[in-house]
Amino acid sequence: MTDDYPIRRVAFVNLFTVLIRWLLGAIFLYLGLTKALHPVEFLKLLRQYDLTRDALLLNFLAAGLPWFEIFCGVLLWAGVAVRGTAVALSLMLLTFSLLVLHRALQLHAALHIPFCAVKFDCGCGTGEEFICHKLAVNFLLTALSAWLVSGRGKQFCVRYSLVRGSKLPRTPDLR
Amino acid sequence: MKEPLRQTPVKIRQGPVGKVLREAVLVAVAGVVFALFANQISPRGLTLTRNYFPDGIDKAILPVTATGTNTTALSPESAPGGSGKQEAWQSIDGHQAVQLFHNSHLKQGAIVFVDARDEEHYIAGHVPGAYEFDPYHPEKYFPTVLPACRAAEQIVVYCNGGDCEDSKSAALLLREVGIANRKLFLYEDGITGWTSNHQPVETGARNSGNLSITIQ
Repeated sequence: MTDDYPIRRVAFVNLFTVLIRWLLGAIFLYLGLTKALHPVEFLKLLRQYDLTRDALLLNFLAAGLPWFEIFCGVLLWAGVAVRGTAVALSLMLLTFSLLVLHRALQLHAALHIPFCAVKFDCGCGTGEEFICHKLAVNFLLTALSAWLVSGRGKQFCVRYSLVRGSKLPRTPDLR
Repeated sequence: MKEPLRQTPVKIRQGPVGKVLREAVLVAVAGVVFALFANQISPRGLTLTRNYFPDGIDKAILPVTATGTNTTALSPESAPGGSGKQEAWQSIDGHQAVQLFHNSHLKQGAIVFVDARDEEHYIAGHVPGAYEFDPYHPEKYFPTVLPACRAAEQIVVYCNGGDCEDSKSAALLLREVGIANRKLFLYEDGITGWTSNHQPVETGARNSGNLSITIQ
């Protein structure tokens, strides 16, 4: 093994992370655009989860989520606030995976079919999908987002981190 | 003598987790602001204050019995509770829809078909002569659809068929602007049922004359 092995390994991991960032950015950009271009369809799909009876809140979610995904996709592509964006996306993915799982369990119980045979349009922007496949994809996307939080791969970023350290308001000096 | 208190900045060290979480909150707030702005300026954006799924959608549906093809092909009065005062929707099946389509009153405007799907689907294929009325953008279609519905005696509203609720949303909107419930009939099989019955569809704009048997 050569002496520069650790350096090459770090370089490889960094490059890998940059590629993941671009890949995730492209995926979220695509998923967001698919929904943003058909907001009414997304609204109908979101309604199936019975999240709320409040029309304003439902509209807010249906109108906001697609554009939020686009926003995060652009940030990841450009390399702005990468770790914060990755955390926000991970939390969003986790929440929606749980909702999709809950809905799939309801369908599984109602239709009396094997869990992995449950197929429906979860409103994720990819059309009808088998639930096990959907959950696996969501798990992978969450894992990749979580990987970006690790702090590697700062290359090709416009501004990797927005928060550089914080100053609180002035307090009395008691010397 | 006491020295006056001096204001000096105090640096609070924040751990990496705190920094990342703070950044996530910043991204979330900026993202929400961006999303609302984008929805506002998008021509396809949703109106946040509008209830797209009013309660009436869940009302019961009553089948209507056919009474012949002379002057009126269908008699809403013959339906249970079909006096116009009841809230339930009246539905017709594929056979009744075809009967209405071939009724001579269709050309006179006494019978109208209303397509409650979006523009993209409407252009791809609709019941010939049907009016386009996307219930999620009613303001765009009311000027054309309302006069036709006011003049008509029977209005057949349809969407894709199956579990689609857009025909109910459209019928509800029409009812809200004063179209009598007794005139409104839901064709629940929708365009899917229409094409499976080998009925013609018109592509493009209303009365374009481009007829075909299948949806493009």
